[in-house]
Amino acid sequence: MAASVVDRTSYKYKLGTNRLGLWLFILSDAFVFGGLLVSRFYLMGNTRPHLEQTLGLVVTAILLVSSFFMNRAETAMAHGDQKTFLQGTLITLVLGVVFLVGVVGVEWQLAPFGPGDGAHGAMFYMMTGMHAFHVLTGVIFLWIVYRNGRKGLYTAEKHWAVEACATYWHFIDVVWIFFYPALYLIGTVVG
Amino acid sequence: MNEKKKVNFLTLGLVRGIIFQVVGALLGMGFTMLIRILIGLPAWNAEPVWVSGMFVGVIAFLIGVGAFSDWFKWAKGEETSDHHSADPSLPGWAKYYSISFDHKVIGIQYGITSILVLGLAGTFALIFRTELAAAKMQFLDLGTFNSLIGLHGIVMIAAILLGIGAMSNYLVPLMIGASDMAFPRLNAFAFWINVPGALLVVSSLFFGGFDTGWTAYPPLSARAPLGMQMFFLGVYVIGLSSILGSLNIIVTTIRMRAPGMNYFRMPIFVWASVATSIIGLTATQFIALSFQMVMFQRLLGMGFFDPGNGGNVILFQHLFWFYSHPAVYVFILPGLGMISEILPVFSRKPLFGYKWIALSSMAIALVGFFVWAHHMFTSGMAEYLRVPFMYSTMLVAVPTGVKFFSWTGTLWRGKISFPTPMLFTLGAISVFLLGGLTGPPNATVATDLHLHDTYWIVGHFHATMFGGFMFPFFAAIYYWFPKITGKMYNEAAGKWHFWLMFPAFYVQSLGQMRIGLLGMRRRIADYDPALNFDFSHLIITIAGFVIFTSVVIFVVNIWRSVKRGEVAASNPWNSRSPEWLLPTPIPEHNYADHPFEVVGEPYDYGLEDAPYIKMPSASATD
Amino acid sequence: MKHFVRVAILVVVLTVLLGFGLDNMGYMPELASVQGAAIDDLFRKHVWVISFLFSLIMGFMLYSFVAFRKKPGDDGSGDHFEGNTSLEIVWTIVPLFIVLYFAYLGAEALAETRRADPNAYNITVVGSQWSWRFDYEDFGFSSTELRLPVDRQALLLLTSTDVIHSFWVPEFRLKQDALPGEGMERELRVTPTIVGDYKLRCAELCGLEHAYMLSDVIVMEVSDFEAWVAEQTEGPAGDGAERGEAWAQQFGCQACHSLDGSDRIGPTWLGLYESIETLVDGSTVVVDDAYLIESILDPQATIVEGYENVVMPPTGASMTEEQIQDIVEFIESLSE
Ligand code: HEA
Ligand code: HEA
Ligand code: HEC
Ligand code: CUA
Ligand SMILES: [Cu+2]
Repeated sequence: MAASVVDRTSYKYKLGTNRLGLWLFILSDAFVFGGLLVSRFYLMGNTRPHLEQTLGLVVTAILLVSSFFMNRAETAMAHGDQKTFLQGTLITLVLGVVFLVGVVGVEWQLAPFGPGDGAHGAMFYMMTGMHAFHVLTGVIFLWIVYRNGRKGLYTAEKHWAVEACATYWHFIDVVWIFFYPALYLIGTVVG
Repeated sequence: MNEKKKVNFLTLGLVRGIIFQVVGALLGMGFTMLIRILIGLPAWNAEPVWVSGMFVGVIAFLIGVGAFSDWFKWAKGEETSDHHSADPSLPGWAKYYSISFDHKVIGIQYGITSILVLGLAGTFALIFRTELAAAKMQFLDLGTFNSLIGLHGIVMIAAILLGIGAMSNYLVPLMIGASDMAFPRLNAFAFWINVPGALLVVSSLFFGGFDTGWTAYPPLSARAPLGMQMFFLGVYVIGLSSILGSLNIIVTTIRMRAPGMNYFRMPIFVWASVATSIIGLTATQFIALSFQMVMFQRLLGMGFFDPGNGGNVILFQHLFWFYSHPAVYVFILPGLGMISEILPVFSRKPLFGYKWIALSSMAIALVGFFVWAHHMFTSGMAEYLRVPFMYSTMLVAVPTGVKFFSWTGTLWRGKISFPTPMLFTLGAISVFLLGGLTGPPNATVATDLHLHDTYWIVGHFHATMFGGFMFPFFAAIYYWFPKITGKMYNEAAGKWHFWLMFPAFYVQSLGQMRIGLLGMRRRIADYDPALNFDFSHLIITIAGFVIFTSVVIFVVNIWRSVKRGEVAASNPWNSRSPEWLLPTPIPEHNYADHPFEVVGEPYDYGLEDAPYIKMPSASATD
Repeated sequence: MKHFVRVAILVVVLTVLLGFGLDNMGYMPELASVQGAAIDDLFRKHVWVISFLFSLIMGFMLYSFVAFRKKPGDDGSGDHFEGNTSLEIVWTIVPLFIVLYFAYLGAEALAETRRADPNAYNITVVGSQWSWRFDYEDFGFSSTELRLPVDRQALLLLTSTDVIHSFWVPEFRLKQDALPGEGMERELRVTPTIVGDYKLRCAELCGLEHAYMLSDVIVMEVSDFEAWVAEQTEGPAGDGAERGEAWAQQFGCQACHSLDGSDRIGPTWLGLYESIETLVDGSTVVVDDAYLIESILDPQATIVEGYENVVMPPTGASMTEEQIQDIVEFIESLSE
């Protein structure tokens, strides 16, 4: 290897390091959700809990749309467009909250079973609960980014926090793309 | 002494953290009770109140110790200084009791905690070993005995994880020529979270203990006393530390290497650390998940593992071992790396088959992911899983064998000398060989039907863990002691340590294996006098005490040598590794003033004019 | 070269010493089952491979310590060689074949332990904290000791009423966990070969008294076994209370209930009848026939204060009405 001395303290180099760290964190976190999926199929096999289909479809759509706005916000920031960035972040945040209300506030109340009712009860509440916990942390992260964004702390060149927040948010979204069919679509209804 | 602030007890992060933890736990409990009243439940229900209280306590500890301070500032949009150590106005020793982002300080913090925790777990072992020295119950009751074996197991495992944290935190950045870890704050956080975690695990003893062993199988763990929850919570927290620590090591190795340090020129210990970290980063999530599921089964009646409520007890074992088997390779890979690191130095020869050894660590780590069900051959899991898992398990012997043969090749035609670190290294090889070779009989299903859950298994895993961790850990401490402290340890005391511990260990482990084959079950407080095991058990107990004594000698030696050992040369072992070319004590920013470039191979002992690194400004100090 | 010759001799000597030494020390308990023979054979092969590999590596190392140790005052270095790819390949491939071969042997031996005899008779083995019960399905009675006829295969169906237990008789070599839950019964086949008394030892930590979860295992001549079966199927003679005592014996109630007023895992039966019991919900009941029958049939229906953490197994479900009635009479007789 050539004796190229890289400036390890440059923002650019640190950015690469941070990105790697974030992706490894996501890889690690993915194992939790993987484990939950495995448990779901182990315990429930080809059955699924009785859930409100329309609501499921709506919250899923909301989460998918939120990812779109998140992406828009991030690209806007990369181009230095402060206004679109703030707008996108705020919309994502609101949609995230709506999703949480939809799952925890509505679906949990509507479901004709509780966490103590058999494997489907346990799995449903644990899976949605763990996912909701991640959405909640994502929402808090969004809130921090939004606040700091309003203070003008991010620039087109330096906005690692925005990028991290967006990546994390997309990850949560992808997890739901696996959880939604596993809970709402696959198998025959029991309980 | 000049201008140093007098140490006020409260300036120590550790003290502040513990106070916060207690207060936080109380607040958390109060808060939970408040919520319970608001939703119309009786305020007091021991389990949820204690569990949520303790959880809040952990977070409070971290706030108290200052692990979050910088992150809170970031959240508020404030800048923080790039790298800093503990309050510089404190005297030297105090920095180890407060938050510091210096990887060397964190390494030492890990190391000291590890030895303290080791002493605790060893004491547990001696207590129940004394009980076992003769048949019938002498001075323990059944419940206490059961809690003690489980605590001994898990606290030892915590000691290992901390010890690995010590070695990899201290050494990896130094060996690859970095000035610190990639994420110093995360590093400090990952260390400090162990403290409340360990406190929680040990606190289980005061909540009725838990009678499940370290494996915590439900449905037993779903019925165990409240101590079980403290165990779960504590391990959960320690697991988080493992995950974050591993992440840091991987990123550091990938991003922070010195110029010219390509992957096949890294010291072998770095390879081992990365292999370990891959497991720690991913598999740990599964033990966390499995414990979390039992916790919630207990708290909310969720039926994951409750056969009466839609659950399945085998599922837990799959989730648990998916982590806990790879974890055993977490325990040994750094130790095996250590062996490969120290052997060439004292054989004055290159490491035999560098690439093979490096890649065998990776191979062990990767194959290790596909063997977990060998702990479940008799568990009643699906029949058809037994044979494939037997084959996969047997495969691990191959890369492990490569290491052994290569070590033998390293010694061959060397110029071998035997100071304490080398003795421990050689002892490690021999003990780990015993442990490793007793693995295949467990791995073939048929023989495991007899061996499972006996003292044979106990003998097997003590040999692997002593050989793969304890001996190499001591070797590492003796070896780097002069660099870390600038003093030399007492060689005679070091030899005493070894010559007591090594034979005593063989007696302990072989004794366990022997009675295991003859019918001694694991985890029993009392054994049938008709089996005539009294004498063997007595010998095992005595051996345990001898090991304990030897470690006491070690601790005293270290303590005294730090205080008034001889001043050590800057490279007493004549090593080629970059950290030895730095002045002692190592500057706070490592190579910031000694940038180096890799120009050769790490283990080219015996070749004149084939330096490993070129460090312009350091030539003066050499 | 001379080094290699010497090491080779050292390794051979060590292997032979270790291997024969271990072979002759009697490291296993007496072997008393057909299935165990396959296991012992395989284990013996393992022991020889262990002896050889341990001697091989330790032989090389010990020899190196002596032949290649640093002489005082010699500050030089060892021979310079960094590895040898063909050697590395050899010591990757050879162990690979050895382990694959052993896995193959392991699978063979496993199949041997699972070979089914169509004439095997069935016994359901029920583990509960902390006792065993054996239901002789083919003959219709239960017992607290496991009696087996010699040289005939028994098909054990293992199950548990509470937590995981494990069936292990060291002389049979076999082990299998007993799992709680429906559909979780697991099989184990045993063909005892030697008449004698053994002990079944629960091998899975199952709570407080795991250490004491033992049962007698008695391997009998076929004729003795048949006589015993006849005696058991006939059922006990005498009046209700006497029969009840025998049933309680058979179904293992005394593992938890003492007859002398002492505290065991469950409440004592002495003076139980017509006493007043406090339940966990704070209410009290007078112990009468109806309450006793309910307690036996559905132990979870009423739980006595102080026994929240132990669960009485639903043994009543596998008893006849008459048997339960007899036991109630027996309990009643203890209050007279
Ligand atoms: C440091 C930890 C460590 C290590 C490294 C190992 C290494 C191995 N272990 Fe062990 N093991 C434990 C820690 C460890 N184990 C623990 C803690 C338990 C009990 C858990 C509990 O229940 O509490 C356990 C239990 C355990 C079981 C379950 C037993 C039971 O409960 O019934 C099995 C079964 O397969 C097993 C197998 C193996 C094998 C095949 C290896 C292999 O990796 C060994 C490979 C090494 C060699 C084989 C030696 C060197 C190789 C050569 C010289 C090459 C030539 C060799 C051949 C051709 C054979 N181990
Ligand atoms: C690193 C891991 C490790 C280590 C080192 C040990 C060390 C010892 N172990 Fe243990 N052991 C386990 C890991 C370990 N063990 C595990 C995982 C289990 C399974 C638990 C379960 O079944 O759930 C187990 C189980 C286990 C059993 C089986 C219990 C049972 O199933 O009934 C036994 C019985 O003999 C035993 C004995 C011992 C003894 C005598 C020592 C001795 O070597 C101990 C000697 C003492 C020390 C090494 C400490 C010395 C330290 C100091 C003196 C410190 C000085 C003080 C200060 C710094 C203040 N251990
Ligand atoms: C594993 C231990 C165990 C076994 C075996 C067991 N019991 Fe019990 N039994 C208990 C416990 C614990 C209680 C108290 C808790 C409860 O009421 O369920 C109890 C309660 C009872 C009671 C009510 C006693 C009272 O004080 O109100 C009766 C009657 C009884 N058992 C009968 C039996 C019979 C008959 C058998 C055998 C077929 C049997 N038990 C086997 C543990 C056991
Ligand atoms: Cu039943 Cu141990
Ligand atoms: Cu394993």
